[in-house]
Amino acid sequence: MQKYFVGFMKLSSYTIPPTLALFLLLSIWEIWVRAANVPIYIFPAPSIIFTRLFQDMGFFLSHGMTTLTEALLGFILGATIAMTGATFMAHSRLLERSLLPIAVMIKVTPIVAIAPIFVIWFGFGSFPKILIASLITFFPVLVNGMSGLRNVDPVVLDLLNSLNASRREIYFKLRLPSSMPYLFAAFKISIPLSVIGAVVGEWFSGDRGLGSVIIVSHANLDMPTLFSAIFVLAGIGVALTIIVFYLEKKVLRWHDSSVIT
Amino acid sequence: MNAFRAVGNCNKAKLVIITFFSLIALLACGVMETSEPNNVTFMAGYKPQANLPFVATYVAQEKGYFKEHNLEVEILHTTSGDNIQLLMSGDVDITTSDATSVLKRRSDPGIPITAFALFGQKGQQGFLSLKSSDFNSPKDWEGKTFGYKFSQPPEYLAILENEKVDRTKIQEVRVGFDPRVLTEGQVDILAIFKSNEPDTVRNLGFEVDLWDPADFDVPTLGLTYVTRETDIESEVVEQFLKATMKALEFTIENRDEAIDIVMKYAPEEDRDHQKFMLNTEIDDAQSAITDMNGLGSMTSNQWESLYGHLIRYGALPKEFDIKSAFTIDVLDQVYKGNKLR
Repeated sequence: MQKYFVGFMKLSSYTIPPTLALFLLLSIWEIWVRAANVPIYIFPAPSIIFTRLFQDMGFFLSHGMTTLTEALLGFILGATIAMTGATFMAHSRLLERSLLPIAVMIKVTPIVAIAPIFVIWFGFGSFPKILIASLITFFPVLVNGMSGLRNVDPVVLDLLNSLNASRREIYFKLRLPSSMPYLFAAFKISIPLSVIGAVVGEWFSGDRGLGSVIIVSHANLDMPTLFSAIFVLAGIGVALTIIVFYLEKKVLRWHDSSVIT
Repeated sequence: MNAFRAVGNCNKAKLVIITFFSLIALLACGVMETSEPNNVTFMAGYKPQANLPFVATYVAQEKGYFKEHNLEVEILHTTSGDNIQLLMSGDVDITTSDATSVLKRRSDPGIPITAFALFGQKGQQGFLSLKSSDFNSPKDWEGKTFGYKFSQPPEYLAILENEKVDRTKIQEVRVGFDPRVLTEGQVDILAIFKSNEPDTVRNLGFEVDLWDPADFDVPTLGLTYVTRETDIESEVVEQFLKATMKALEFTIENRDEAIDIVMKYAPEEDRDHQKFMLNTEIDDAQSAITDMNGLGSMTSNQWESLYGHLIRYGALPKEFDIKSAFTIDVLDQVYKGNKLR
């Protein structure tokens, strides 16, 4: 019983402060909009947004699922390519010197400039959105992955070398586990980015996903719908980030980063 | 007697001096009044380019017509489509909007804006297909893909109904604003602005067919000047319209010079494309109504036809009193017959 109480108290200490902060923010927003008599088409009150959201929850969840799927697939694709690249680049300075500038070029290219071209190349389905999400998530995983794979304990590396361990064994027994804290740090950045990537992709074509809802409702000056979509997106982003934190805690039990002070 | 005369002369001299200074003071007040121009912020609803309502303001600014009407006009542009919100927040005094959008915004969320001049006697929107598609009529669109910008335009739905086209046989997809989806074969018919994409696609080396809703008896209207309903009777709106209508007449008579002025505001744009845009919009800005009542004119019948059409095709979320959406009163102050006052 005491164990459950402690668990409950611990959970409360994580959830109550942000919930109160959010409640306070929404209250200030609501009071300000009403006191200043701000028109709905300029900035709607949270009560109006929540009414719109709950009236048509199915609509927002359905579009939210599309965006979530595209974001996750983009994240998986981007992270896989980045980790593969990081593996090769961590083993070869020549490859790093050759490929890293290209990766930086991809990173600094504005996604909004590429998105319309992807529509022309790949059509109006989910694929261009997944590609955009993967592009935006690629760089943090690449850089952190490379650092993590390189930054191994030299004593353990010497030991494995003295035991004639193969490159494959060193990779799976030492480099990959050592890179995990770096990778999770990158995932925490990349996961919300993947949602942004999917949304940007949806702005340019197609009629599915929260990005499409945002762009059309903006064109119609339908602010309650626009903000409802933003709230759902924020919810998706927060949920994904919490999942990454949770996974990090489970996977990196052995590492200092999982210990919360 | 002489003393009286002397006093009388002295009083006369005083009277002359007082009258003289009073006149100077009055004159100074008058000068001060006219030297205080009315500040107006105009926001064009898109980037700097040769859309006719934009050009009218550029020309009025450069030729000094705004100054003639005691206006100090700041010309702004937006690419984010926030001009109506900025109008209502008071950051902007006058902006542009196409007539359909005026009715949509009036319908929901009920934004109190009023159009006071109509440039496009025909709508801006049309549909484009490649000549190689060999479409003879909209009936040939069946089995093809149609790309639209935001939502299916009511003009498209009206054409399909008028021409008895089976809509279920057409794939419809939102494609945004890049016309290359047409040239690259992603779509077969593309919703476009008549004064823009036809020229762009031709410049890419493709022959095109333009489908104008007006040719299928679909009621459409183009760009308007709008302001807040509460400001519609202000003198500033009247003076603004006087200056821009004068500029519009100048533009039609001196197209090359008008394009020179446009290029000052849009130096990175292609001059020939701007010329195409201007010529197309000038053609669409003239009709029997403007011949009779002057450029920028409009009638209740035009607006009622458009309103009925939009209601019929579900483009307006709610019905409302259409009289609040436009006024011809300002035009009446500006024109006598079809001549500027």
